[in-house]
Amino acid sequence: MEQFVQQLVNGIMAGSTYAVVALGFGLVFSVMRVVNLAHPEIFMIGAYAAFVVITGLHVPGGLGVLAAVALFLGVLLVAMLTTGAAGLVLERLVIRPTRGTYILTPFIATAGVSIALQNSAQRLFGPDPVRVPSVIPPYTFTVGGVRVTSMQLTTFLTAVAIMLALRYYVHSTRWGRATRAVAENPDVAAACGVNVNRVSQLTVGIASIMAGAAGVALGLLYTSAAPFMGLLYGLKSFICMLVAGNRHIEAIMAVGLLLGVVEAIVTGYISSNLRDAVAFALLLAVLFFRPQGLFGSYEV
Amino acid sequence: MLLQVSGLEVAYGPVRAVRGVDLEVHQGEIRAILGANGAGKSSIIRAIMGLVKPRGGTVAFAGHALHKLLPHKVNEWGIAWVPEGRQVFSTLTVEENLLMGAFSRRHGQATDARQQQVMDMFPTLRERRTQLAGSLSGGEQQMLAIGRALMSNPRLLLMDEPSLGLAPKVVRSLFDLAQEIRARGISILMAEQNARQALRVADYAYLLEVGEIRGGGSAREMESSETIRRVYLGG
Repeated sequence: MEQFVQQLVNGIMAGSTYAVVALGFGLVFSVMRVVNLAHPEIFMIGAYAAFVVITGLHVPGGLGVLAAVALFLGVLLVAMLTTGAAGLVLERLVIRPTRGTYILTPFIATAGVSIALQNSAQRLFGPDPVRVPSVIPPYTFTVGGVRVTSMQLTTFLTAVAIMLALRYYVHSTRWGRATRAVAENPDVAAACGVNVNRVSQLTVGIASIMAGAAGVALGLLYTSAAPFMGLLYGLKSFICMLVAGNRHIEAIMAVGLLLGVVEAIVTGYISSNLRDAVAFALLLAVLFFRPQGLFGSYEV
Repeated sequence: MLLQVSGLEVAYGPVRAVRGVDLEVHQGEIRAILGANGAGKSSIIRAIMGLVKPRGGTVAFAGHALHKLLPHKVNEWGIAWVPEGRQVFSTLTVEENLLMGAFSRRHGQATDARQQQVMDMFPTLRERRTQLAGSLSGGEQQMLAIGRALMSNPRLLLMDEPSLGLAPKVVRSLFDLAQEIRARGISILMAEQNARQALRVADYAYLLEVGEIRGGGSAREMESSETIRRVYLGG
């Protein structure tokens, strides 16, 4: 039983970052009907940004908790600004000109950007993973027989904070309301006075900031960044979006966590080799029984 | 002259939906564009709103050229749209729909006052404030769509087939409402298939056939015209 709860906890911790990246996909897709295949690479940029900042600062080991948290937040901020800017550039140069009519056009365009970004990362940092020193001092908390590391906790809290912020934005702010309106009916939203191009920028910007934060969290959790880290991670997050449907952001959050949990359980009880297969099995099941996603989607 | 449309051409690929249309709306008027399905009425409305780029012609509002503007700018100038088939934001609440209508106006006291005004006009909306718009009946959604458009304090309301899909009793009160809106100083340009009701409230009407204006006149003139009687009013 204890083992089960441990796996559950591990799963929720890991799943929270799937959720954040999946939300980025979902946001852009539901608001703009665009599949941004470069989104996982923006996540990768976040991890590398953390790498550059931490190694560039020559951070000494053995920092106190307060200093470590401050440093973490600083790295997070820099990474989010970087990826946010990257997202805005992507929106202006690649997404805005290609969105609208045919759904495959931005899909292909962003796929090209994704390949370009992967190869650029390879050029800049080398093809092998680089080591990202973790700035969080390594404690392990034990609560009732369940062990949680400080880094796991940091990742989880970051993800939760981001998801809460996103939920607040979408439900309780003027622009968030406009975003929901554009997702449902861009023509009517425009006629109500909403600058749809501005909403497009905001949406991609927010999704990119989220991906950047997830990149930092994951980079520090696994203490590594690699040019192709976005590939599998992004694919699984994309699957989360497909499985959840793009109608409710809470659904995407839930499925992200679910994926993390199921993966952890499969790893713990069946075989760690099957971990990556879980997402795909889930996708196949959903496509078979409920292709619009578990919680429904807007029409494309 | 509030709205002046000159030589409007709207085409979708090779199909010319609107061919050289001239029309006007004066301050304080209700003008109707009458015509059958597919005549091009919606295309005219959409072109004025900036939702489709005209291939030719001009749209001027209080002297300002609008035909090159994006829809949100057209809305800022004082034109609001009540789309065909209501098209309320079904995943937003009634209140949120109304707030969306006022998006171009900053938030604050004026918007709150406006919202109260609209809900005074449509008490059902006040009752259903926190309900999702998708759960409203057709008639209620029409009220919401109109209320939403009124939220931006427009000078001109564009109504696209407002009676479509509504029960006859509701249709009657809808056109009564149009008169009420005019009485408040808001001009209306409506595209309608229901010529009888439209002519009851309109000051002036145009007849649109296959993208061209085939005639126009005051509502009385149109009502007594042989063509209209025969084709639209059933003799």
